[in-house]
Amino acid sequence: MVKFLIPLVAVLLFFLETEFSLYSPIEWHGHLYYLVPRFLILYLIFLSIYYDRKRAMWYGLIFGVLYDIFYIDIIGLYTFLYPFICFIAGYTVKYIHQHLAITTVLSLVLVALLEIVLHQFFLLISFTSVPFTEFLNQRLIPTMIANSIYLIMLGWTFKYLIEARLFKANQSTL
Amino acid sequence: MPQFFSNKRLILLLVGVIFLVALISFSLRDRQNASLPEQIIKDTVGFGQSIVAKPASYITGFVNNVDELLNTYDENKRLKSRLEEFGTLQAKVNELKVENDKLKDLVGKKDDLRNFDPIQANVIARNPDQWEEKLILNEGSMSGIKVNMAVLTSKGLIGKIVQTTPYTSQVELLSTNNTNYRVSAVVANKKSEAFGLIEGFNAKRGELVLKRIDSSLPVKKGDKVTTSGLGGIFPKGVLIGEVTKVSTDDFGLTKLAYVKPAADFSMLDHVVIAKRQSISVDGSDGNGTNKSITTETGDQ
Repeated sequence: MVKFLIPLVAVLLFFLETEFSLYSPIEWHGHLYYLVPRFLILYLIFLSIYYDRKRAMWYGLIFGVLYDIFYIDIIGLYTFLYPFICFIAGYTVKYIHQHLAITTVLSLVLVALLEIVLHQFFLLISFTSVPFTEFLNQRLIPTMIANSIYLIMLGWTFKYLIEARLFKANQSTL
Repeated sequence: MPQFFSNKRLILLLVGVIFLVALISFSLRDRQNASLPEQIIKDTVGFGQSIVAKPASYITGFVNNVDELLNTYDENKRLKSRLEEFGTLQAKVNELKVENDKLKDLVGKKDDLRNFDPIQANVIARNPDQWEEKLILNEGSMSGIKVNMAVLTSKGLIGKIVQTTPYTSQVELLSTNNTNYRVSAVVANKKSEAFGLIEGFNAKRGELVLKRIDSSLPVKKGDKVTTSGLGGIFPKGVLIGEVTKVSTDDFGLTKLAYVKPAADFSMLDHVVIAKRQSISVDGSDGNGTNKSITTETGDQ
């Protein structure tokens, strides 16, 4: 049962991301603020830290392709970025302490990195003309606040879920 | 420090990057049409998405209802004051409608740019990274939706269809950054009609930019802006918004107006796609490809 739970949660988060983005942008004091939900990649980062880097990268690849085809019609963007982020997460964690607080900060930093890379890419292909400072105020900071609230609420659930899976895997090998 | 990449991995990475760049440029070139595997994936994901969207939209509906309930008292007071006004307006509209029909009969004019067949659809997804203002609907080419049709809510125009698959379709909102996105519009006040094109969105003001208005025509703050139907595909008379500021354009030759959109672009769940009854041509609302008009007869 736990075996199927990990991909199932990933699928659910993939679908939920867009439901939450229907509420964005938020108007506050006459300014528009964009909140970009990054539930799936946060989950995948947790997977690659606590579970298995390779498997997380595979999930990243599959969901990246789906994301590219379904939402943005530029195949290759998220297809590359999702596994790449998982790779960095899995690689860094070898050198740092795996405390929940540290991994939370690490995953938020990686999401910020993802956002910045995407902004640079869309500037490059001139889909957007938003300068960096405006991007920072309108998108990055609100996005990071929203995602950190989400991660603080659910990070320990991810960890618990992955640990339950690992426990099960260890049991079957014994 | 161990070696970050072994040789084999480095080659794999390089090949991967080259492949990806090729893939990106390939898919950037033709984004209007989805290939068959893309269509299959879109329809499958769309199916899953529409299942998840249902409970989510119930929750949104509930929250909205509670929100409306809280505002009922104020709203009621305001509406009561407008009710009398409404009665006389209604009588006048009926009168004008009858007269209009009679006159139309007299001249034998059957076709009207205003008439359209509504196709109802639900929003199942929105591009979550929000770099492009796109929505995905749960109806596609099987229910008669075609690229470039107008998409509206009860409040006004919100965008147009940019891509269809058999069971889903993609809407690009008016608030897009895309410079090739134009809507033929008209500013109407009591005296005159001024035509112009909605071109672009001013993100700072959160308003649409209406360009190329003849500078001799009077356009005032508060005038209503509607679609003109002259762009070829959109029906006539769909509300776009209200003029908030008028100025001249960069060259001082034509007027430019900022238009506050009537429809709300966030929290969309139910939309209507307008399928125009009269012949549609590929004009400024479409891609502006100057294709021969006579070959594209549209469907009646």
